[in-house]
Amino acid sequence: MAKNLAIDHDTLREIYRQMSRIHEVDKAIQAGLSSGKFQFTYWPLTGQEAIPASIAPLITEKDYMVTIYRGIHDQVAKGVPLKGLFAEALGRVDGVNKGKGGSPHISDPGSGSMLTTAIVGAGAPIANGLALASKMRGTNAVTIVNFGDGATSIGAIHEAMNLAGIWKLPVIFLCQNNQMGEYTPIPEYTASVDFAGRAAGYGFKGVKLDGNDPVVFHNGMKSIIDEVRKGNGPVFVEALTLRLGPHAGVGDTNHLSKEDLAAAKAAWPVPCTRALLLEKGICTEEELARIDEDARAEVKEAVAAALKSEVTGEDEMLLDVYADPTVVPQRGQRDKRAAEAPHTGETREMAMFQAIQDAQEMALQLDDNVIFLGEDIGASGGVFRCFQGMQAKWGERIRPTPIAEQAIIGAATGAALVGMRPVAEIMFCDFMGVCLDQVVNHAAKQRYMSGGATHVPMTIRTIAGGGIGGFGAQHSQSTEAWLLHTPGLKIVYPSTPTEAKGLLLSCIFDEDPCVQFESMMLTYTTKEEVPLGDYRIPLGVAKVKREGTDVTLITYGWQVMQCLAAAEELAKEGISAEVIDLRTLLPLDYDRILTSVEKTGRALVVHAATEFCGLGAEIASTINETLFSKLKAPASRFGAAYAPIAYSKIIETAQIPHAGTIAARVRELCK
Amino acid sequence: MSTPLTIPKLQMSTTEGTLAEWLVDDGALVEEGQPIYCLETDKSVQEIEAPESGRLVQKAAAGETYPVGTEIGEITSA
Repeated sequence: MAKNLAIDHDTLREIYRQMSRIHEVDKAIQAGLSSGKFQFTYWPLTGQEAIPASIAPLITEKDYMVTIYRGIHDQVAKGVPLKGLFAEALGRVDGVNKGKGGSPHISDPGSGSMLTTAIVGAGAPIANGLALASKMRGTNAVTIVNFGDGATSIGAIHEAMNLAGIWKLPVIFLCQNNQMGEYTPIPEYTASVDFAGRAAGYGFKGVKLDGNDPVVFHNGMKSIIDEVRKGNGPVFVEALTLRLGPHAGVGDTNHLSKEDLAAAKAAWPVPCTRALLLEKGICTEEELARIDEDARAEVKEAVAAALKSEVTGEDEMLLDVYADPTVVPQRGQRDKRAAEAPHTGETREMAMFQAIQDAQEMALQLDDNVIFLGEDIGASGGVFRCFQGMQAKWGERIRPTPIAEQAIIGAATGAALVGMRPVAEIMFCDFMGVCLDQVVNHAAKQRYMSGGATHVPMTIRTIAGGGIGGFGAQHSQSTEAWLLHTPGLKIVYPSTPTEAKGLLLSCIFDEDPCVQFESMMLTYTTKEEVPLGDYRIPLGVAKVKREGTDVTLITYGWQVMQCLAAAEELAKEGISAEVIDLRTLLPLDYDRILTSVEKTGRALVVHAATEFCGLGAEIASTINETLFSKLKAPASRFGAAYAPIAYSKIIETAQIPHAGTIAARVRELCK
Repeated sequence: MSTPLTIPKLQMSTTEGTLAEWLVDDGALVEEGQPIYCLETDKSVQEIEAPESGRLVQKAAAGETYPVGTEIGEITSA
């Protein structure tokens, strides 16, 4: 270390104080686990204390931080209250997230610790969203996203770095290079000579710093944070350190030889920094002992309080899945939600793509927090023509993105975490596969994992290309069942231009993450008079599109027109079919479904998605359980055959339900 | 007041541990942080430290393997 310390004494003393707090937390956790007093999985941070401790004096609670499961050091230094931190790790009601997230999922907006992920690398796209919100709001906050060296191999980091570069976001990618990706040392998983060098490939600066030297690291970070704060764009920091513990659990790492481990322990920043303060005469032994004792006492008090707190009970199980617990689908629950009032105001003839643009324009007018992200949504006006002329009119609130779905959804999630209302377009719903982690592990679960401390009011719009023919297996799927299986998302699927507008506006202003599926079969073909202005259709309200008495066809999306055509055909044979358009798939309108089937005694659920394990099976099963004694025939479901959607028009037509095959199924039911 | 000593889950995959040896006699006074027994798992042998200061009460025999969570002793206020 430098002979004359290039840091002021109070700052170094403060850095050590944070290191001491982190160390005492680490020690208390390891002691609790060793004695069997605690039982949870721990990813020890031992050896990496100097990194967040050196940054702490440079940031405030207004700066955002994202970290990972091995991130308790980051949480402590950022200012997460220790009592809440321990109670969370122990799954107790007084945890910062009500014991529902645990130590790998801490969110504490009060201290700016916004999100902790247990999915390697997944925090970086979300950090971009936090930084985007700061940039668009004109605050000078900085976002720091922490991840390990192991995360540099995963796609999310690369997508995030590319987007941060092109948007010049105020974000610092802080790679805590502890030499080990879980159980695999660096030369075994990458041929890169370093990680900082990768930033140049994305057009911004990468810096390598000794993360174990608080003086060097603090000074290095000071100029980097200043630069990022000024709006000069992102920086990638490779903080060199060494993990002294195992990937998970308690004890020493088993990847170092005896000699290397001894050397590493001798270079451990906690005692080294303490010795430096003493050697340079900055602190006396008594002062240092007091710092350590204060940290110990703070931790002891926090542990005692956490242990007194009750383990979070079952009453919390279905809370925080959504803002409104009645949205959770439950057996026997059939709340009647009020439908939209009949529209009496002005209208204009529009196709669905125009109605969507109309809703988007309306949302932008209503709330400055509304922004749009997606591929090709800029000057080209959007692949589906829903953004025509919008970038010229709305400027940077219309944000065309690289072709990088994880980056898109992550940015939307991060911005939503701090109160923006982002709307992301995922061009085809087949591409949900490339951003599924961001959608299902992050956006959907964040409210629950944070015990309601944070939530994600964002909307995703996506196209289902099926039914037209010629798009092939990767642009024709109906992927709603993937998402329906994930608690936390709301899903809508309009079948008319008016409903596309009304549902989309409700989604954008909903407090939970929503996905609107739009069918390409309907985007351009049907035109109708669409209400102008702020027109909304409440979520979770189905609509009878044709009344009937013999059988109920329950459907949504472009299968509504197939069911209506089938009903027309059946009417000629004397079978009266009622057609219900679900419009919202979650929350599901069980009341209107069951009310109709109580009347008709027969039900067929029809969808374009694969029949096996689809929504139809779920609805049919609920009808059979609830109305068993009143049914004239078992409720059934009809979806696509169990095969990828074929390119051949003949196969595609045969594999997805259509008016003819639907009518045939109804005739069977009515025999 | 007493603090129970249970077989800890030191690694994600640990389901049981062998209490290889008590390092402190039954009924002796121990200091917080003092090694009190040796735990053997499939991965390693480790000395386990006293979580509190107090008097050690042994409740399980050395040389035996116990599932994670088994109470093997306690530390009572001296």
